[in-house]
Amino acid sequence: MINHEKSKANALVFKKSVVIMWTMVKKNIKRQYRRSFLGVLWTVLNPLLTMLVMAFVFSQIFGRHGIDMDYPVYVLSGTIVFSLMRMGTAQALPCMVNNYDLLTKTRVPYYVFPTSSVLSSVVNFGFSLIALIIVMLIRIPNGVTFHPTMLMIFIPWLPSIFLFSLGLSFLLCTLYVRFRDVAHLYNVFLTLWMYLTPIFYSTVILPDYVQSVLKFNPMMHYLDYFRDLLLGIVPSWQEHLICYGVGIAAFLIGYLIFRWQRKKFILYI
Amino acid sequence: MSEEKEILVENEKSPSDTGNGDKTESVSKRRRICDLCRNRAEGTGNVLEENVLVDARNVSMKFRILTEKIDNMKEYFIKLLKGKIRHEDFWAVKEVSLKVYKGESVALIGRNGAGKSTLLKMISGIFEPTEGKILTQGNMVPLLKLGAGFDMDATGKENVYLNGAMLGFTKKEMDKKYDSIVAFSELEKFMSVPLKNYSAGMLARLGFSIAVDVNPDILLVDEILSVGDAPFRQKCAKKISELKASGVTFIVVSHSMQSVKELCEKAIWLKDGRIFMEGEVKEVADAYTLDCQQNPQRT
Repeated sequence: MINHEKSKANALVFKKSVVIMWTMVKKNIKRQYRRSFLGVLWTVLNPLLTMLVMAFVFSQIFGRHGIDMDYPVYVLSGTIVFSLMRMGTAQALPCMVNNYDLLTKTRVPYYVFPTSSVLSSVVNFGFSLIALIIVMLIRIPNGVTFHPTMLMIFIPWLPSIFLFSLGLSFLLCTLYVRFRDVAHLYNVFLTLWMYLTPIFYSTVILPDYVQSVLKFNPMMHYLDYFRDLLLGIVPSWQEHLICYGVGIAAFLIGYLIFRWQRKKFILYI
Repeated sequence: MSEEKEILVENEKSPSDTGNGDKTESVSKRRRICDLCRNRAEGTGNVLEENVLVDARNVSMKFRILTEKIDNMKEYFIKLLKGKIRHEDFWAVKEVSLKVYKGESVALIGRNGAGKSTLLKMISGIFEPTEGKILTQGNMVPLLKLGAGFDMDATGKENVYLNGAMLGFTKKEMDKKYDSIVAFSELEKFMSVPLKNYSAGMLARLGFSIAVDVNPDILLVDEILSVGDAPFRQKCAKKISELKASGVTFIVVSHSMQSVKELCEKAIWLKDGRIFMEGEVKEVADAYTLDCQQNPQRT
């Protein structure tokens, strides 16, 4: 009976956290586009315009060797997948420090802050998907087709990259409490990471040794998986294993470090 | 049976106090429950008496003060290699024990830096005591800062819901409260205006209105008993005494001896993190006032 009551209390706390997270996600999304003329429409326009620039620049400069996909769709899918991870983690990085007031003045559970950052970027990703679908519709004359495998984007693909981003966010925001340099380092690292992810090029054009190094880039696997789904291919079980293995590992490591350091946050901020 | 309920309530509090219900804590909590069951027979240990809401046992809180603030890696590793990371331990609260009974409000008074707010944060579960432990039961709402987490870019209405969520209310619950909150704040005209266009007084009024529209057993208040202009202050005072009359127990940190005397039955005078004097509110408050007059300099 005691256990039953206790789990009920835990469920209540969790329910409260969900309310807070939801409110914070809404706040984050609204804040991005507040006072802009087109408002939330920018969540769709933003990836579209980025894609246009990239498709224009890179189709002229890099060529499209080894890409068996419609190039605008290829670039856009790369952009939105990478920015799902990038936005979530970059927003989560300073979240503990920014919410100092809430940490010391209210009893909001700590995990709410990084989680709501990543959730916001998932919502943004949802809007970007609309942009992707628009581009795919436009490119139908060029041979783009819709496949039922695209539904697998929501399950199982999205949870795996969510776990990965969340784990990374936990780690980063913990580090940032102690060392403010992390923000600058992570920024540089993100740029490097972006170029090491086949967003606008195909790994085929790279030398073999670079390709074998890139295998250790988790984002490449998430991206490959995503593009497979767009092409109507059900990814192999190895890909599932890699995506979920990396996701769960990142989440556990990040969360455990976060928990371990949690009590010290208020002392260092 | 009723006693068992008491224990359950005590344990229900704990996860929300610390924020997360993690494994290690739940293990220790389970152990605590076992202890509770064992101790119930003896009538000691971790069982709270029926009418005790807060029982702090010998709590201390230590802060580490780095002799110089290191917040970047370069300095940290250089200093680490040189073995030059020094901290000073600072005991904000030292070996404080107190019991708060139901319906008996308590004031924490003392000079700046005496540890009042730290103690209040420990009671609310925001800080975890370095030593000792605090048992609580009943629904406790900490009001340590008005409008903590207000989003200046969002409108008044959005912030009512946001702040409500921070205090643990769902949207549905807030829907019910919304009208009375707005009516109390007298800000009907400004609810669709972003908070950054509010005056300081309006912000305080909105924060206060949300804060007092909660129905806790214990209200932890840090120096925010009234805000705004004179008429609004009166309204605040009236609301507070209404809450008090409805059976809410207050734990108040305040420098205003007058409001402390009106609101509380007991007072605890903290000095350098320790209890210097405790007892009837009038007695302690008067002694404290006298001390402030006689020794205006900090010791």
